Amino acid sequence: MPRETGLPPGTLMMLVLRVLKTQPLHGYAIAQRIHLLSAEQLRVEEGSLYPALQKLLVKGWVKAAWRASESGRQVREYRITPAGRRQLEAEVAEYRRMASAIGVLLDEA
Amino acid sequence: MAIIGEWIRRLGYLLRRRALEDELRQEMEAHRAQMGEPPGFGNTLRLREEARDAWGWRWLDDLVQDTRFACRMLRRSPGFALTAIVTLALGIGVNIGMFSLVNGLLLRPLYEDADEVVQVRSRTAGPPARGRAFSYPNYRDLQEGTTDIFANLAAADTGFVGLDVGETPRRAMASAVTANYFQVFAAPLAHGRFFTTEEERPGAAIRVAIISYPLWEQLGADPSTLGRLVRINREYFTVVGVARQGFTGTSIPGPEVWLPLGARETFSTEDRPERPVDAREVHELSVVGRLRSDTRIENAVAVLATVGRRLEQAFPSINAGYSLTMSKPSARLMFMPTAGTGETARLVLLLMLMPAVVLLVACLNLADLLLARGHVRRQELAIRSSLGGGRWRLTRQLLTEGLLLSLAGGGIALLLSAWATKELLASLRPLLPVAVTLPDVSLDWRVLLGTMAFSLLATLVFAAAPAVALTGRAAAADLKRHSGNEGRRPGGVRIGNVLVVGQIALSLLLLSSGGLFMMSAIGATNVDPGFRLDGGLIVQVDPALARYDESRGRQAHLTLIDRLRGVPGVEAVTIGSSPPFTSSGDSRDVAPAGGADARSPFGAAQGDRERVERSRSVDAVFSVVGRDYARVLGLPMLGGRDFSDAEMAPGSGERVAIIDDALAERLWPGEDALGRWIQFLDAKGPEARPLLVVGIIPAVKHSLGTPRPYPHVYVPLGQHYESAMTLLLRVAEGQDERAMLGPIGRVVRDVDERVPALSVATWRDHLNAGLDVRIIRVGAGVFSAFGGIALLLAILGVYGVKSYVVSRRTREFGIRIAIGAHPRALLWQVLREGGRITTIGIGIGLLLALGAGQFLQGILYGVKSIEPVVLVTAALILVAASLLASYIPALRATGVDPTVALRSE
Repeated sequence: MPRETGLPPGTLMMLVLRVLKTQPLHGYAIAQRIHLLSAEQLRVEEGSLYPALQKLLVKGWVKAAWRASESGRQVREYRITPAGRRQLEAEVAEYRRMASAIGVLLDEA
Repeated sequence: MAIIGEWIRRLGYLLRRRALEDELRQEMEAHRAQMGEPPGFGNTLRLREEARDAWGWRWLDDLVQDTRFACRMLRRSPGFALTAIVTLALGIGVNIGMFSLVNGLLLRPLYEDADEVVQVRSRTAGPPARGRAFSYPNYRDLQEGTTDIFANLAAADTGFVGLDVGETPRRAMASAVTANYFQVFAAPLAHGRFFTTEEERPGAAIRVAIISYPLWEQLGADPSTLGRLVRINREYFTVVGVARQGFTGTSIPGPEVWLPLGARETFSTEDRPERPVDAREVHELSVVGRLRSDTRIENAVAVLATVGRRLEQAFPSINAGYSLTMSKPSARLMFMPTAGTGETARLVLLLMLMPAVVLLVACLNLADLLLARGHVRRQELAIRSSLGGGRWRLTRQLLTEGLLLSLAGGGIALLLSAWATKELLASLRPLLPVAVTLPDVSLDWRVLLGTMAFSLLATLVFAAAPAVALTGRAAAADLKRHSGNEGRRPGGVRIGNVLVVGQIALSLLLLSSGGLFMMSAIGATNVDPGFRLDGGLIVQVDPALARYDESRGRQAHLTLIDRLRGVPGVEAVTIGSSPPFTSSGDSRDVAPAGGADARSPFGAAQGDRERVERSRSVDAVFSVVGRDYARVLGLPMLGGRDFSDAEMAPGSGERVAIIDDALAERLWPGEDALGRWIQFLDAKGPEARPLLVVGIIPAVKHSLGTPRPYPHVYVPLGQHYESAMTLLLRVAEGQDERAMLGPIGRVVRDVDERVPALSVATWRDHLNAGLDVRIIRVGAGVFSAFGGIALLLAILGVYGVKSYVVSRRTREFGIRIAIGAHPRALLWQVLREGGRITTIGIGIGLLLALGAGQFLQGILYGVKSIEPVVLVTAALILVAASLLASYIPALRATGVDPTVALRSE
């Protein structure tokens, strides 16, 4: 479970799928992307990231393969699967719905 | 679909997980390197474990770990492990044994796809409407009309025959069947061939037979048995086939031999005079069929209704109001012991409950052992708990150890019981009144499942309580506390004592129940029959099995008496229809006939004699006997005379009877019965005419079950014909009766080859071979074994708890010896404490035993519900055993060396 990020449960998996949607990445790069794309608001520790990646593997939403990186080091690259894309769409839609509902509620009150 | 994919991925992970975990480690190290941390910095183990949890195999890792650890623990204390496994093997073994029997007799399907096999029954219009068997033509029409619904429809007629396979002929169960009979049960033969349709044809009289597997084994289990001749009633039959092992047809027990329906004429006995099997009005067949697998029940019912209507229209006089129904074949178990059904049910219940009690004793015993070990384990558990082992995890660890023991015990139990069950079933065979085929009771998945269930159950009972008790304490506090102080906190001891009380009580229950059975068995063997057992022989014959009519049968009886009288060494010979202990017992309502002046029958008016005193009728065993009956039984004539030779032949004038003193006393208390008249109230025709009492003999005991003396009335051979008779012989003084069995058997065979001797035995063997005696003996054996096992377990339990107590108190004893306590005082103290729990256990056990006695009273012969001898003996055995079990630890307490004891902790 994500601890350090302070993200709601399950959100990390959605974020990982989101950054993988555009391109395959290895673990460290995923953490970096999330950090950058969140305008340096979110920091993902490896203690949360790797369990989340394993769960995505179990679910079949991502696939992993070893590849040589630009720096010549062997890295394990994660690639989103069609099932992962569908899941991402569903989760994003659900998240948007929830967020707008909560937003409306907060504004009204 | 997604779920399946997920499981496939999980399984794939499980198979390659070492490689995958390695990858994860490399990946995480690479991650750290990229973050700019020096290699080897930090520990990724914990993080890796968390990541691994995502695959959901944590429980398996834990289980493997627990099991490995449990194995290590058990290897470290082999004595404990061995004791526990043996205890469990005994406890579980008796339960599997009993379960195998129940499984073989009641649960296991008798044939493949049993739900497709149905019995077809027919009813005819009343009044009264009643069920009827099938005639062969009705069966054939039914078969032809139902080919759409039945894959096979067979007919059978089952009865008893005299079977001679080269030894003494004996009564056996036989079945005359149609050619397709075995196909209905999808039961291939072990050897040989099925019957042909030609052999099935009524009147074909082709004498071939299929024999049961056990009979084949008895004949030497030789393939050359095919083609061999066996004798059934009077005819020779060629063996053409051997049924599959364990095949019994629709019921247990099954026939020993099958004949083709066309040879059914051989079958008839006195109850079933010869009648053509192909007549439409002779209804003697039962019909059983296998439904086609695609048959719908509604459809089958409709087809049967149509066929029934057609049969009624075609033969209105015979099949009036004909209707056909189908049902599951009934009567799975036949020939339950002769006792009433209520008693049988009680006996079965008892047989099921007793093994459970043994297992309970075993579990209590193990709980004791585990608690005692707890003090060794407490430190270890405390350390593990303070290192972060959760309570559930520790409990699970202890339960895993328990389960490991149970499964090991269960495995051994399975082997033990497979052997014991076969033996038990073999010992049951002679209990049955005739030779029959018993089903297979070997292992199958049900028994394996049962073993698992018993093992799990046992684990929960014996391991759960100690596990909770041991992990429930404030474990960290345990670690701090000096373990020597534990003697002051006797919680574990108290639980141990309660367990021992339970064990002793249950052991007493089992021991005293076994004792009651044994007393009954001894009583039955030493029963006083009221006549001389020694020097007596019996020969049972039944000319009707050779289809002799009355006149030929009478002739056979008389010839046999005559020829046996001539055998050297035989002093006297007689014959009787219901001699004592032959399990044949015809009885009649006997009433005095005639008034006060009946003493002179010729002076009495006929009307007086007719004035039967119905209200004073007495139920008496009715026996047709030859001359010298009293003499052969070693009974004196109390008055009057024996029957004469003339009275041995039919139509010999006045009807006469000999009665025993028990009957005389009931009919005319305190008066002389000689010369008075009696009458059978339930007889008709000439049998109802009064009989003159010409002789009085002493009463004998008729069977174990009947009270003694039981009234008897004897009539001479000439007055009544029974085909099944017992010849009674008394051998000359000093003659060995057992040595005469052979010659006498040969004489009987020579007299008339077609009238076989169904049994030739000495009186005493015959009595001991009786059904009642054997049931009690088997019961005594089984219950004594249970009691013995329970006793052994109880001794182990007492010993375990006492040893534990003494070892906990080594320090205390050391101090007391150091300040001058006499060792003997310590010895007495330990013994006294042992005595106290024994006394409480025996108190409770006596109450249980009294309850069991109440329960057993109706089942057992000659045993009261409270048998002081049994109760006192059982209690004394337990007291002695438990004192012995506490004595050894007590002795150890007195041998404590104060210096060692004080330093030890």
